[in-house]
Amino acid sequence: MRKHPSEANLALFAGGELNRWTRWSVERHVAICDGCRRDISDFSALRADSAVLAELPEAAWSPMAAEMKANIRLGLEAGECVSPHAVSRMIFSPRALAACVSLAALLVASVFLERPAPRGTDIRTSEAVLETSGSGIHFREGDQGMVLLNQHAHEVNDLATGRAMQQSYVDSETGMVTINNVYYVE
Amino acid sequence: MAGLIFAGAVALPAQDVPFDPHSSIQINLPPDSPVSLLSTNVGESRATPRGGAMVVDLHMSLSLRNSGSRNIRGVTLLVTTQEMTPGGKASVAVPSLNIAPSQTFPIRIDLRLLRPLQAGGGPLVKVTLDGVLFEGFDFYGPNRLNSRRSMTVWEMEAERDRRHFQSILNSRGSEGLRREMLDSQVRQAERPRIDVRVSRGGPAISSAAANERMERFAFLHIPDSPVEALDGSAEVAGNEARAAQIRVMNRSPKPVRYVEIGWIVKDAEGKEFLAGSVPASESDLLLSPGQTGRALQDTALRFSRNAGEPVSIAGMTGFVSQVEFADGRVWVPNRAALQSSGLLRVVAPSPEEQRLVDLYRTKGLSAVVEELRKF
Repeated sequence: MRKHPSEANLALFAGGELNRWTRWSVERHVAICDGCRRDISDFSALRADSAVLAELPEAAWSPMAAEMKANIRLGLEAGECVSPHAVSRMIFSPRALAACVSLAALLVASVFLERPAPRGTDIRTSEAVLETSGSGIHFREGDQGMVLLNQHAHEVNDLATGRAMQQSYVDSETGMVTINNVYYVE
Repeated sequence: MAGLIFAGAVALPAQDVPFDPHSSIQINLPPDSPVSLLSTNVGESRATPRGGAMVVDLHMSLSLRNSGSRNIRGVTLLVTTQEMTPGGKASVAVPSLNIAPSQTFPIRIDLRLLRPLQAGGGPLVKVTLDGVLFEGFDFYGPNRLNSRRSMTVWEMEAERDRRHFQSILNSRGSEGLRREMLDSQVRQAERPRIDVRVSRGGPAISSAAANERMERFAFLHIPDSPVEALDGSAEVAGNEARAAQIRVMNRSPKPVRYVEIGWIVKDAEGKEFLAGSVPASESDLLLSPGQTGRALQDTALRFSRNAGEPVSIAGMTGFVSQVEFADGRVWVPNRAALQSSGLLRVVAPSPEEQRLVDLYRTKGLSAVVEELRKF
């Protein structure tokens, strides 16, 4: 078997954010590697779960970022008032660079926290959804969710049976076949 | 970029909060239950705040004892979560057992709940007994999840597959059985997989945004099937299928109360996947000999692979996968029919075949031979 892709590439693949060449390479690998396929499936499930969380905090990130930027600007202006150096030199001073880096980090964090992309449209809807992943059977409705996990499974078989999703596997610790079902109930 | 940050965030250890798993789980077995609870281990359970929500990981290992007088073949536990309404109902079943009276056995339940931080008190999860299947197909339990039928089907398949492997052992010896175990391993490894998402059967919203069309089922004929699938169709748009309905006829001399149709999907490249099954309506199907009825699936199924790549539906095939008669007896396709129809390489192995192949993988051929001689 070829070398496994890095965990970061598997995570990016799960999010559909790899470039074409790397994506093609990872696709070729996961077609023959159960372990990496399962990792990707887990990353997808975790993205889905975290997307629910992304909706919950009501912090006002934009005002907070604006306030922090204002404070930084105020600090710079205060520094300028007491500084003996000319403005042209201050642009390249260590303090100004540190302020710029902080500002950039703040902007990146703001963009990441507020970016709409990770919140999949399926997650934001209150519609109940049942699906399987490498880690188990997921049921989501609104801001609540449940996963019936298949820990200690070697090989998992999935089946959609009408209003339930089913996974069967052999528990590697007990040697017993376990069949999990999560039901779609209205 | 976001994916990388996400991967890093997942890897970061979260701060657990004080959590009493014992008060979060309520296990109720009926007073006359043929299985008794010896102990419950919830050692690895924890609650972790994430953003404005709480992730509760409940890991239960129940130790049960057969307190009856007959060998147990299967147990199904019903798992309900307090706050998940209207859904949140699950079950954990262990088929292919051979538990003698007084013998103990474990059942593991691993559950992750995502709930608001400000949720109410009381047990989060209730575990109750839905059914116990004994040797000879006798059943005990409230059967709210139709676990009697499910466990009977699994036991019928177990008997069928044990007979098959025993006949291989008798006719071709240990080497023949080894070859059969290896073949099964290869089939399981090569079996095409597909991810299925189930949602309410509203208008199709396909990720492929394709036009909706009515797709007809083709049917595989199983020679000794007591029910025949006559015709059927589903509304298909890209990688999504909904409102599947199949007309069936009872060809047997006995009344039938449940039919399930296996559903195979063919993609644009001609690869076939087992997508799921179309069940008969639970309440209103009772087919007299010669009578016709319908199997329905009113939910929408969306198919993908490799973590989200849509699988376009180019064709659909159905086959009768199980039939329950009014007297509670069950029919499943025989091994020869699965082999000759090509279904063996598409459908999942029975729980018993999974168990025996896993036994071969972990403990070797002698353990499989010993296991087959117990029955």
